Amino acid sequence: MQLSNIVTIFKKEMTDTLRDRRTLIFMLLIPIAAIPLLMMGLSSLMVSQITKVKEETSEIVIEGESFLPEELRSMFAEAPGLSIRGEDEFEGRDLMDELKQGNFQALVVVSDGFSSDLERENQTEIEIFYDEAEIKSEFTEDKIRDVLSDYKEQIVQKRMEQRDISTDILTPFTTTSQNVAPLQKIAGKEFGAILPYLIIIMCFMGAMYPAIDLAAGEKERGTLETLLVSPATRGEFVVGKYIVILVTGVVAAFLSLGSLVFSLNYMVEDLLKGMSKMLAIELDVHTIILVFLIILPLAGIFAGVLLSVSIFARSFKEAQSYVTALNMAVILPAFVSLLPGVEMDYSMALIPVVNASLIMKNAISGSIEWNFVFVALLSNAVLAAVTLVFCKKWFEKESILFRM
Amino acid sequence: MIQAEKLTKIFKDKKRGEIKAVDQVSFTCEPGVVYGLLGPNGAGKTTTLRMLSTALRPTSGTAIINGVDVAKEPQKVRSQIGFLSGDTGLYGRLSPREMVRYFGKLYGMSKSAIEERTEKLFGMLDMHDFADARNEKLSSGMKQKVSIARSVVHDPPSMIFDEPTTGLDVMSSRTIVQFIRRCCDEGKTVIFSTHIMSEAMRLCDKVGIIHEGKLYAEGSVHQLLEKTGTDNLESAFIKIVGE
Repeated sequence: MQLSNIVTIFKKEMTDTLRDRRTLIFMLLIPIAAIPLLMMGLSSLMVSQITKVKEETSEIVIEGESFLPEELRSMFAEAPGLSIRGEDEFEGRDLMDELKQGNFQALVVVSDGFSSDLERENQTEIEIFYDEAEIKSEFTEDKIRDVLSDYKEQIVQKRMEQRDISTDILTPFTTTSQNVAPLQKIAGKEFGAILPYLIIIMCFMGAMYPAIDLAAGEKERGTLETLLVSPATRGEFVVGKYIVILVTGVVAAFLSLGSLVFSLNYMVEDLLKGMSKMLAIELDVHTIILVFLIILPLAGIFAGVLLSVSIFARSFKEAQSYVTALNMAVILPAFVSLLPGVEMDYSMALIPVVNASLIMKNAISGSIEWNFVFVALLSNAVLAAVTLVFCKKWFEKESILFRM
Repeated sequence: MIQAEKLTKIFKDKKRGEIKAVDQVSFTCEPGVVYGLLGPNGAGKTTTLRMLSTALRPTSGTAIINGVDVAKEPQKVRSQIGFLSGDTGLYGRLSPREMVRYFGKLYGMSKSAIEERTEKLFGMLDMHDFADARNEKLSSGMKQKVSIARSVVHDPPSMIFDEPTTGLDVMSSRTIVQFIRRCCDEGKTVIFSTHIMSEAMRLCDKVGIIHEGKLYAEGSVHQLLEKTGTDNLESAFIKIVGE
């Protein structure tokens, strides 16, 4: 095997690949643009929905408003974001039906003995009806509860004062809890789950089209024979092509990592004020090197598997349908990072894709267990080498190359 | 010089068992002579030529091309031959110049040698106008010229053409036929396969009739006609094979 031939083949295939629009879309455009846009779109939509609903004034109806003590009535009237509609507006109509139809957001029912019961210190009741299917109605219920609990506190305080008892009796002791996890770990828990999944998928997708084009594409174009009769060996062709696919996979993975971190740190931050600190993922050099180390052999496996499938396929279309099936085989194990409670151990470290997913997840939350990393790297590298050898075997086999 | 010696190729098929695609075929092609392998589809022409070009390994027998054994040193044979077939394609996203350069490098040529050869071939084939356009944008005639340039970038002493005109329009196939003639005039050894009798009559100095993997007869067109007592190759073919 001559290095100069491999370099020649690599350069030619890389040029060819970079001129392919499909490859560019999957290798560059989707990792860079689509993910941040998607995430930003989703989170801004969510945030704007929530703030909109929260800021909007909710309309409520109090059945038996006149039974309310004067004090509570004025508290309702002054409560921000609540507006009381008179019950006489709905004269002769069923208030429950009106609520269900969404004509107002909540119904408060007060019994006629409410004020006098309070006076006499009898336990009494206020009922709130709301529609849990409507997010706005849900928030309204919260607001009503806030008003009522403020009033409740006032009454308790008043009664205790009358009896000359300190309110401290209600809270014999206080509790404080403090979080000791570093920010990175919290962020890792929240986003460490989704990041590895996306990186692995992007890595696979980036390698997908070049792989199909580089072998099945040669068959379809009728260029395969011209390669076979040239003095470069079949092994050189396989290695040259393999490296191109590997590179596109790694590039796609890193672009997606970069753009994900960028969008999490700079875009989403503005949208979720207050939560911003928790979201910021600080990727230090160690983490980036680790991600590179773990992605490289994984991309090697992807390249080998994709290339051998592509060599086997008779046409571009045939290769595409195999790759679609393979896609599922990658998505499922990559999904492991999203499952809570899946812990790293030596057997997990041996399984390709799963190991990369878990190691990246842990690394993002700041814990790197080098023994598992080492096992995973070794396992993936061996597998990548096996797939490469397999590609070479197939590329040398007449019954595969000239499959009828 | 190409000498095929009892070339045999057996394919294994799951449903049909063993298939003898080529069965003990022997012939000799001299330099400066166009040798035509004539036979219907499925006769074993393509398989024979693929063995000569080292794309396939013979099951038994061998061929000697310019003194090098196809079965023993396929790697060495490859720089001795140029290969072109009707359905060889191009890399659509490369230009003719890049295409020829790539193959020049694969054949181990130096940079300056490649540039020199490219200039000469592009001038000879009148390709300068589209030398830097993308292959996918070219007309079929232009594409054929690129394929020709690719196949002879290393100036091989022997040329193998596998049904080179199949599926081509009149202009493109004329380009090919002229090119085959030129190769012959330059003293190269030329072997080509076809199922078109008229093409063989027009082009070949020597013809081998191949059918069901076996070489039935060999000789100049004139000799074959005389032997069978017919006045055209088609009847001669039927007579030779039909018996």
